[in-house]
Amino acid sequence: MEDAGIPTVVVAVAAFEQPLKKMALSRVLLTPYLMGRPVGPVGDARTQRRVLRSALGLLASADRPTMRHYRNA
Amino acid sequence: MTDTPEHKETFESFRKSFFYGTRSDMSFKFLAHLSDDQVTSFFQGLLAKLVDAYDSGDTAPVYEHLRQGQILSYAQEARAVYDTGPFTPMNASLSHARLMLLTSSGHFVKGDDPNPLGIENMTQVQAEQQIKSFLKESPALSAIPVDTPTDRLVVRHGGYDVRGARRDPDVNLPLQRLRELSVDGVFAGLCDPAYSFVGACSQVRLLKKDGPDWVQRFKAKKADAALLVPV
Repeated sequence: MEDAGIPTVVVAVAAFEQPLKKMALSRVLLTPYLMGRPVGPVGDARTQRRVLRSALGLLASADRPTMRHYRNA
Repeated sequence: MTDTPEHKETFESFRKSFFYGTRSDMSFKFLAHLSDDQVTSFFQGLLAKLVDAYDSGDTAPVYEHLRQGQILSYAQEARAVYDTGPFTPMNASLSHARLMLLTSSGHFVKGDDPNPLGIENMTQVQAEQQIKSFLKESPALSAIPVDTPTDRLVVRHGGYDVRGARRDPDVNLPLQRLRELSVDGVFAGLCDPAYSFVGACSQVRLLKKDGPDWVQRFKAKKADAALLVPV
């Protein structure tokens, strides 16, 4: 998608940090949740919104390939 | 497994049984990829933390222990290795950007089952049992209208524990949260539809055929950016 001119941001659980590092992706936000729930815990809309805001912030601000950990506020 | 003198279960077969075996469990299948010593330490730590949680009332360390086990098991995985990758800068400001959502969660809309492997109404259990077949097949891309009500979403995926996604699709198909952020003006709007597929598929076909075909569809939607959610 990046090759086709579409900027991307990936939201993934931190368990995938090492495999994702090896994939040289453009923007990655790693989250501290159990596998299958990268955007946040079940029913926690507040956290899910914060994660997505953080991912979109990364999308807008990164000027080079960036991998970042989401930290619980 | 029958524990007779002829078929005495080893610790290795015990830990491997969580990976599509007799104790198949998508949240604990990672145990198969750890050593016997690592799994021993994992269970010992888990039991200790359970009792600590009972006394303290704080269950967070139990979940953190499980998460650390998942991290440990995937630390050595390297299916795709690249030195560098493409990077496209954002040209539009976020508040004016149309965003596309693509997730490998395995969601589809009720009544629009992709019937993978030609099986109608496949269950989650069947999906897990058929995982080897899934890994040989092209993935089906499910289009999900962005205004789909949560109760119209179905999830089925033979590669991860879907219980969280069943309880709350936004954990990996964050349509409702994105709709809210769009209303708040964080970005201009969602490209319609969003897309989901089962990431447990032929990676060669995904990379060589399906992925490039999909990108052409995405380009036609004139998305300014894409949010990708692997599970």
